[in-house]
Amino acid sequence: MIAVSGVTKAYQDGAVRRQVLRGVDLVVARGETAAIVGPSGSGKSTLLNILGALDTPDAGSVRVDGVDLTASRPSALAGFRNRSLGFVFQFHQLLPDFTALENVMMPGRIAGRPTSSLSALALALLDQVGLADRAGAFPQQLSGGERQRIAICRALVLEPAVLLADEPTGNLDSRSGEQVLGLLDTLRRRRDTTMVLVTHNPEVAKRCGAVLRLDGGSLAPG
Amino acid sequence: MGFVWHIAVRYFRSTRADAHIRALSTLTAGGLAVGTAALVLALAALAGFQNLLLEDLARHTPALQIEFGRGAAVEGESATEGARHLAELAAATNGVAGVQELLYARGWLADDDRPLAVEVLGYEKAPPPWIPVQPEATSGLIVPVSVALRMGLAVGDIVRVVSPRPGLTPVGPRPRVRTLPVDLIYRSDRAENADDPVLLPLEQASALFARGDRRLDLTLAPEADPERIGDFLRRGIDPAVAMVTTWRQANRALLFVLRLEKGLVFSAVALIVAVASFALLAALSMVLSSKRAEVGVLAAMGAPPARLQRVFLLLGALLSVGGAGLGGAAGAGLAALLDRYRVISTPSDVYVVDYVPFLVRGTDVLVVLAVTVLFTAAAAVIGARKASLLHPVEAMRSART
Ligand SMILES: Nc1ncnc2c1ncn2[C@@H]1O[C@H](COP(=O)(O)OP(=O)(O)OP(=O)(O)O)[C@@H](O)[C@H]1O
Ligand SMILES: [Mg+2]
Repeated sequence: MIAVSGVTKAYQDGAVRRQVLRGVDLVVARGETAAIVGPSGSGKSTLLNILGALDTPDAGSVRVDGVDLTASRPSALAGFRNRSLGFVFQFHQLLPDFTALENVMMPGRIAGRPTSSLSALALALLDQVGLADRAGAFPQQLSGGERQRIAICRALVLEPAVLLADEPTGNLDSRSGEQVLGLLDTLRRRRDTTMVLVTHNPEVAKRCGAVLRLDGGSLAPG
Repeated sequence: MGFVWHIAVRYFRSTRADAHIRALSTLTAGGLAVGTAALVLALAALAGFQNLLLEDLARHTPALQIEFGRGAAVEGESATEGARHLAELAAATNGVAGVQELLYARGWLADDDRPLAVEVLGYEKAPPPWIPVQPEATSGLIVPVSVALRMGLAVGDIVRVVSPRPGLTPVGPRPRVRTLPVDLIYRSDRAENADDPVLLPLEQASALFARGDRRLDLTLAPEADPERIGDFLRRGIDPAVAMVTTWRQANRALLFVLRLEKGLVFSAVALIVAVASFALLAALSMVLSSKRAEVGVLAAMGAPPARLQRVFLLLGALLSVGGAGLGGAAGAGLAALLDRYRVISTPSDVYVVDYVPFLVRGTDVLVVLAVTVLFTAAAAVIGARKASLLHPVEAMRSART
């Protein structure tokens, strides 16, 4: 589960200080999905980075899957991210030197999983989003929507206890979006995964257990 | 293939895609190739030359010598007895294969009119090995060509050898003189042959030059270590009586110069490797800055900083190993060819050989490789450190703008 309280975060932009988060509280129970909506620049990605132990808050406490992120050492956090978290980044962030399949396998390679079982797993995931035939393609050869689906497969390959997805359906048509949401549902049922999705899509938000709006630096039921 | 190899090999391949990185990685590999080849070649040339010099030296210098002048005679002993004493001690030492007593002195050689001051060397058993012809023992004189020319001597001529110290007889001082035939004329292969000695058997020499400098030359068994035997003898010999010198000690200055020469040449040529290592650092930094976002993603997915650092260390190794290996092999091969076919010639009247010899030594090649690894590893460590210091979010942001 995820438990956040009183998280603040400011960025120093030269002489200007931008207070992005001003006391965010959030609880997502295990196996639940929360959607976060809000205007551009409101701090949704910033919050997700903090939940994912990629960034540290200025104040407040963050517990994810039983781990106190603000009290853990960086080396411990790397292992935690690999074991327990799945990320879908807003800008896909596929690795251009690796094929679609290799990209999906990458978290497993970091974890040291045997490649043969890993590649079978990755191929099955690609198949479920209709991209099995693109497994050998490099990111530059793929469309935006294809890249996004591969990024989602990559986040799911180790069946994480917590999934953090920044606009996972942003570039997708309704059919592909449906495939992706189906995949997330499957994972939730199998692993009881806790999810936080940032989305601009009301259809997607409607299917989540809770919808929260980030505006003015804090979360409110949306 | 583990994660680190997986990433490093792929990044290595990607260095060909970017023109700048390709140029830098080519410079790295090429620089390392040229550097190691030049190092191996330079060391091989030096080793070949120094090897000749040392062989020459070994022919002229006994492995061990014991110098004792007249001092070896303990009270009541004659100089000859004292020398025999030391010779017996030396001969009984483990690892000593042969002992020969020699006597050095200055005297005159005279035919009918013109006396000529010469170095005289009395030998006990056989002329020393630097006399190019090894004659069966003679009882007469062996004369260097320089002396023979100046006195107009030929083999078979009879000359007088005169001692500078007259003998005291009841009728007053009389010069000590031996009249001996010229048995052989030799041309020494020493570069400086101005004071090549006139050789004669030891009994004759001792009779003439009782106060000459005496010395024992020791030949050692092939496996024997001169330094060890030297130490052993020193313990058994009163330092006031005789001095034990190994060939290394006798040629200290020359050996030092040879080492110095080698060190200086090595340092100068190693600069090429140093420059290539800077190119490696630049190449690694460029790869890292072009891969910032991706390394950030890997970190975000939980790759520990130390492992990301290892990716770039390995990348550094991949960028270096080909060039260095190729250069080392090419240098060694070229040296072998240059030596085998005597490609580089020198004027034959300058030195004992008329070509530049090359000698590739395993230890030299290892030292070159070690230095190359040291330089490149330092560059790679510095370059790779930055990979472990990346902030994943900052790194990923950098890709979008
Ligand atoms: N490293 C940074 N330095 C300075 N300002 C930053 C930095 N990262 C984010 N910001 C600012 O913080 C604010 C929140 O950014 P964030 O990316 O979290 O917004 P977002 O809600 O995800 O927006 P979008 O919907 O457009 O993705 C923005 O105004 C952004 O300019
Ligand atoms: Mg965002």
